[in-house]
Amino acid sequence: MPVLNNEVLSEVQKILGSMTKPVVLKYFSQPFECGYCKDTHELLNDLVSVNDKLSIEVYQFDKDTNQVQSSGIELIPAISVELKVDDSTSTDYGIKFYGIPAGYEFSSLLNAILMVSTGVIKLTTETKAFLNNLSKPVQLKVFVSPTCPYCPPAVMLAHQFAFYSKMVKADMVEITEYPHLANKYSVQGVPRTVINEKWYLEGAAPEVMLVQKIKEAL
Amino acid sequence: MLDFNLNLSDNADASELYDLIIIGGGPAGLTAGLYAARYKLKTLMLEKSFISGGQLTSTEWVENYPGFPERVLGQKLAQDMEKQARHFGLRIITEMVKSVELTGSVKKIHTDYGTWQSKTVLICTGSSSRKLGIDDEDLYTGRGISYCATCDGPLYPDKVVAVIGGGNSAFEEAIFLSKYASKVYIVHRSESFRADKILQDRVVANDKIELVTNAEIDHIDFADDEHRKLYLIDRKTNEMFKLDIDGIFVFIGNIPNTSIFDGQIELEKGYIVTDRTHKTNQEGVWAAGDVQAKALRQVATAVGDGACAAFWINKYVDEWQDIESLSPAKGTLDA
Repeated sequence: MPVLNNEVLSEVQKILGSMTKPVVLKYFSQPFECGYCKDTHELLNDLVSVNDKLSIEVYQFDKDTNQVQSSGIELIPAISVELKVDDSTSTDYGIKFYGIPAGYEFSSLLNAILMVSTGVIKLTTETKAFLNNLSKPVQLKVFVSPTCPYCPPAVMLAHQFAFYSKMVKADMVEITEYPHLANKYSVQGVPRTVINEKWYLEGAAPEVMLVQKIKEAL
Repeated sequence: MLDFNLNLSDNADASELYDLIIIGGGPAGLTAGLYAARYKLKTLMLEKSFISGGQLTSTEWVENYPGFPERVLGQKLAQDMEKQARHFGLRIITEMVKSVELTGSVKKIHTDYGTWQSKTVLICTGSSSRKLGIDDEDLYTGRGISYCATCDGPLYPDKVVAVIGGGNSAFEEAIFLSKYASKVYIVHRSESFRADKILQDRVVANDKIELVTNAEIDHIDFADDEHRKLYLIDRKTNEMFKLDIDGIFVFIGNIPNTSIFDGQIELEKGYIVTDRTHKTNQEGVWAAGDVQAKALRQVATAVGDGACAAFWINKYVDEWQDIESLSPAKGTLDA
């Protein structure tokens, strides 16, 4: 059953019309203990139904352990947005969504798909220079809630970093679906970006602040 | 029911000379954008946030904007305003303005990613939440102190929170927070409230909300995550007392977003001074909405400001000339 209404779906079709290269959405699901797996799956089915360049591969979190491991999946539902090279290969940039990308985060998902497909990013030359010289891995976790209008910029920025640099991986984490993580990372305001499990950045911070925090974390 | 919102930045040509650049996409900017697009002005909007709507997006319900007898969600109203303006051709770029050059007939607007040029500029940068100004406020922002109930309210299920303020925002957001929290205190400096009477009645009728009046914040002690404390001074007795809380939501008014215009445009207590046509003291520059020096700051007044400013800007663009490149250089005259 579709989760997107016709009005939204036709808007999605228009937006995805500017895709150039094919993109595959690797979707990790589980038939039990997952409140939003079904909705997430239906959402992705809706998306791929409007554009031929977009496809979905479905994996079971409890069974497809090889793929779960190689993609580094930690939670469900999970989506990895990858560039499709051919029928059996794709490029994993480390762009992931944990939890359903609903509400404002729906834009973050479409933004990630377009970025991977077209290769177009918007980062300053200073940021690019910094990312080019990264020598240590950087893991960004951006905690969000679907009703937070300030969250998508933080997610999109982290995903751009991941797309541009092989050293960076970036996750969106929809915090209301994982209360134990809200405790673990003491998330009481969103967005909150956690860098390498230890360093924090509050709010939708501009590029230069994220770069600064990453420098501190390394 | 799940919601899916779509907001992606447009693309635009930075080498073009625009008729109008609108800085800020709240209700004033979006209305001006709608009117300008219908006048067929070559218009661009620069909005720092990824969604338009400004402060509308961080409020839950709007009840005093005409045309919605059943009340309307702030985020929905903002989205529809944006959709309507885009429908007529307004282009919105997600970039934050860093600095401006407003003198001369071609105005230059600098962002992180480049420079935009325009014949006219409309400033609709609105205002931001005023901070409490207490120690540790920055340290605990996002970790117990919040300025956006719709963002962070869901993170306080069955918790105890304090709302600071006595105006409409404080009362509306307290009612919103009472859906999640087990207890909501409204802490206010005086005994009377600026909030509309209808909101006051609703708060009084809400079992979860308790009013704490004549109370001034002394300090907070959030060092122990599990036992956060808000220390208040009773202004009548001058005695200190504490509230055991899990979080604070601050709604004590706003400060105008005008720092980048300081020195280039006449300001009054930080707000932009305009004439009846919404023009500033700088040729070719207008201002509309909350950022203007005026008495009432509402969605209903902002949209009127935006429409009016667009009307006068359209007249101005009709007669606009690039004075610098038209007039011969001084040296030529002397010769």
